Amino acid sequence: MIEPLLLSLRLATASSLLLLLLGIPLGYVLARKRFPLKRLAETVILLPLTLPPTVLGYYLLVFLGYQGPLARLFSIEWAFRFEGLLIGSVIFSLPFALTAYREAFRSLDEDLLQTARTLGAPRWRLWRYVILPLTWPGLLSGTLLAFAHTLGEFGVVLMIGGNIPGETRVISIYIYDLVQALEFAEAARVAGVLLVLSFILLYSVRVVEEKWTNRFRSITAFTHP
Amino acid sequence: MDKPLQVDYRIHAPVELAARLEVRGFTTLLGRSGIGKTTLLKAVAGLIPAAGAPFEGLPPEKRPIGYMPQSYALFPHLSAIENVAFPLLALPRQTRLGQAATLLLQMGLSKELHHLPSQLSDGQQQRVALARALARQPKLLLLDEPTSALDTFTREEVMHDVIDRLRQTGIPTLAASHDTALAQLSDHLAVLTEEGVAQQGSPEEVFAHPVSRAVARLVGLADTFPGKVVRTSGPWVDIDTAAGELVARDVKDLTPGETVYWGIRKEEIRLVRVGRTQCGEASENLIDGRIVKLLPRGLSTELRFEGPISLSLTVPRHQRERLALIPHTDVQIALDPRFVHLMSR
Repeated sequence: MIEPLLLSLRLATASSLLLLLLGIPLGYVLARKRFPLKRLAETVILLPLTLPPTVLGYYLLVFLGYQGPLARLFSIEWAFRFEGLLIGSVIFSLPFALTAYREAFRSLDEDLLQTARTLGAPRWRLWRYVILPLTWPGLLSGTLLAFAHTLGEFGVVLMIGGNIPGETRVISIYIYDLVQALEFAEAARVAGVLLVLSFILLYSVRVVEEKWTNRFRSITAFTHP
Repeated sequence: MDKPLQVDYRIHAPVELAARLEVRGFTTLLGRSGIGKTTLLKAVAGLIPAAGAPFEGLPPEKRPIGYMPQSYALFPHLSAIENVAFPLLALPRQTRLGQAATLLLQMGLSKELHHLPSQLSDGQQQRVALARALARQPKLLLLDEPTSALDTFTREEVMHDVIDRLRQTGIPTLAASHDTALAQLSDHLAVLTEEGVAQQGSPEEVFAHPVSRAVARLVGLADTFPGKVVRTSGPWVDIDTAAGELVARDVKDLTPGETVYWGIRKEEIRLVRVGRTQCGEASENLIDGRIVKLLPRGLSTELRFEGPISLSLTVPRHQRERLALIPHTDVQIALDPRFVHLMSR
């Protein structure tokens, strides 16, 4: 159980970090900027919410596989490898993380950001002292949600990663294997561990969200006297 | 007071606006809501694209201004002293906290240094926001509706105090407001109308002699009427109006036949007859009509008068009681020629 569990945790950690890196600028732009084709961009990003995981996995397989465009152009072949899993996970969890990030950034008061600029704050200082301190609960809850989502993911992982022990066999697939092999005792233990993990993660999300809602309330109360 | 600062900006969006004015000491930019006062302040602060002087082309963080929006925009997660130290972040921690503390002390907030904005009253929040806007020693301070969030009862006192503190710093201040009380407290007053800055000068000058009907409305001369110059004689001018021929003081060289607009303050209209009771000396500029409505205005009463023209006048309580004023009474009013104000547009 240890090997697939560690692999799943590694995958979830790596995809959460990538999501933060990718999602924060994207969420900020979607929340606060206007640009052409914004609705289209939002739809594409949210698509994995409604798409069957097997469909997403299929396209990723075609794209990253040994005859895919990446392989032909750059000799990059990431199907059935950890990198392929990672890309799949990031795309699959992006809507979850991004929706939370976007809401966090939307709650920022425009007056606050503008005034901060007139106080001589360069962009990095604005992020370090104003934007991140006011939005971190929202960013954290989105990331935790994406982390939990990645841990439990099955369809996309199976399509793009297959079932290679130590490389792509994550914990959800391991449980499937155990049941196929009628090893119910081990399956029950692993499932139990995942259940507890998911519960703890979601509980943390609730705690963080509550904190965020309270803070958000204090901002609105303050800026509209 | 130092020499005035010239502000001259042209804005195309969100409203079309060209404004040119002087900032001398504490200057109020008076105008009704939606006329573009906030827009002008934001343009000077560099927050919206605009052309003009001073500071054109600089990003907001490079402009030597202090900007205080209507909401104050204090950082809700930072204490008063951290808010004021924010613009000084380039300095070492001890230095900037020291300077922030000094500024807050000057604003009379020695006990509230470590309070969060939500723990401060509106007036205290405003002083923290002012201290923060002053921290970088700007060349120009921009205040957006500084009286709007203040308690009605303490508003005047608080602003008096703020203006005094700002005078001590010597930093020229431009305050956008529709508050005539604030306008009267200022060193200099600029009135923004649809045509741009229609008039500027000392508050006494602008309030006593509004140049146009748009300005007159803003400084409390609500009812204005057209008229035609009949003749001039010395300091006086006769004008033909809907209420007959009226005498007024000739403010600038008028020529017969010219169209002028005239108005008179509510407080300066006299009642000379109510019903059959004579209650004032008969004089020039008498108009007959009737009272149609009485509106309480604190200790005085506003009367709506309808005759050949409609206007409002205020009478003190003792007069209202003595004359037992009720609606639908025939009255005669007198307009003292010295107080009939003429405007060319």
